[in-house]
Amino acid sequence: MKVWRIILAVVGVGVGAYGLFQLLTQLPRQTLVLLALWLIAALIIHDGLLSPAVVAVGAALRRYVPDRGRRYLQFGLIMAAMVTVIAVPLIYRAHTQPPAKALLLQDFGINLTVLLAAIGGGTLIAYAIRVAQDRSLPSRPTADEAQH
Amino acid sequence: MLTVLARKPAWWPHFSSTLRSTAVTARLGLVLGIAVLTCFLTGLLSYFQYQAWEWLPPPASPVWGYRVTQGVHVATGMAAIPLLLVKLWSVYPNHFRWPPFRSVKRVVEQITVALLVSATLVQVFTGFFNVLNWYPFRWDFLSVHYRLAYVVIGSVLLHVAVKLPDIVYGLQTKIAEGDVLTELPWNENPESHSIAGPLPPPVTPGLSRRGLLTATGAGIGVVVVTSVGQTLTPLEPIGLLAVRQPSKGPLGVPVNRTAEEANVIAAATAPDWTLEIMGPRPYALTLAEVEEMAVHEARFPVSCVEGWSADAQWRGLRLLEVVERAGGAADSQIRVRSLEPAGFFNKSVIFGPQLSRALLATHLNGERLPVDHGYPLRLIAPNRAGVFNTKWLATIEVLS
Repeated sequence: MKVWRIILAVVGVGVGAYGLFQLLTQLPRQTLVLLALWLIAALIIHDGLLSPAVVAVGAALRRYVPDRGRRYLQFGLIMAAMVTVIAVPLIYRAHTQPPAKALLLQDFGINLTVLLAAIGGGTLIAYAIRVAQDRSLPSRPTADEAQH
Repeated sequence: MLTVLARKPAWWPHFSSTLRSTAVTARLGLVLGIAVLTCFLTGLLSYFQYQAWEWLPPPASPVWGYRVTQGVHVATGMAAIPLLLVKLWSVYPNHFRWPPFRSVKRVVEQITVALLVSATLVQVFTGFFNVLNWYPFRWDFLSVHYRLAYVVIGSVLLHVAVKLPDIVYGLQTKIAEGDVLTELPWNENPESHSIAGPLPPPVTPGLSRRGLLTATGAGIGVVVVTSVGQTLTPLEPIGLLAVRQPSKGPLGVPVNRTAEEANVIAAATAPDWTLEIMGPRPYALTLAEVEEMAVHEARFPVSCVEGWSADAQWRGLRLLEVVERAGGAADSQIRVRSLEPAGFFNKSVIFGPQLSRALLATHLNGERLPVDHGYPLRLIAPNRAGVFNTKWLATIEVLS
């Protein structure tokens, strides 16, 4: 494993340094300043805003939602968040282009609503099935109780 | 003073979710790593279309080659966005190790990880914005995207090298049994299995770790299936997140640059338009002559660097025949120029196998070209990035 680590590290540093050298020597200063700002902003937005918000939502769910339902809620929220990340820029950019480009012609707000409704509906159905199963087997403990 | 610094303050964050584990991160990271490598390699193939070496002309077959590689590049890059966010969530507690700057080695690692994360985020998001024809970053997209790709792939390789023991542990451990990942490194966490010995697997009272990976996979699946219709024509009808809908373009083919944007409407529709062919035996063709010679048919897809593509039937003149009449040959370098007065894409060079199979097209899907598609005459060649299929042709030059 040690040999592999050394090979990977040397190649990685070499390729990365080549990229940095290319950026620093081939691009105008104004571009480099903007790029540096974007790189820093990406870290601040992700690590300073988005991640704490997600952690806070997770903590709130753990505190207020019972385990059995939380399982399904978490599953649905993960899917919903992943779809929303892609949909939001589409919504923002919709209908900004000449029609001949066949670009961003859809009402992505409606489309996102449809997708979220499908994810929410699917999650709800799975949860309802689980509740019904737990009820039809009253003699056996539920998974939650078995764990305690 | 030192003792104060050495003690972790009471307000220091503690992460207790048992969902996080190196066993989860390693699996997410494996898939993300494959996605990043796929983007890098398909990206290099695309860049080769932009900067082909003279001794290695871009191939002309398969005709759908660029359609597939660039479709994969864009679809994989889009799918990597939510996957990257889940992967970063899984290691977020690593930011909160105590003390924050414990050793030079650790600080160096943190700097390289910060570069990896920020470069990858900027790379995938600006790539996505470019597909949306949205340029809030105000730099030349291609020159930054290409060079930043080396920074991304290099820092990924370095990251794999640094983390290889963790990756091996994560992938070899059953997903439910892996140590919980918290702000404490595993070798300082008294609750980690590696220290405490055999323990029952951590309890995940809500979603299980397997459930987390399933939800992530399902989320990516929805994103891919609802967006890839811009490349994979049969999926266009369910393309709820598809950026382009190729069938809605004029004659079933989208336009990347309209005649109005290129400022060529007047010049392109002028009845006295002529095509100048420059070479050892220069000549010119009138509009009527061009239309009379346009009898050759070919089926080449239009494949855009932005990932969308559409199959299309073309009719026109064989470029090679036009070139040969001016004294060129199959091994010549040919430059075609558009009526468009300025811009990077108002010309392109074609040589090698693409030259032998290229058409100067007058018709698309059985109709005379609309001006947005390049009326009166455009280049179309197999396996060639869309932007180099120059529209509104004005001149053909035999360079060598």
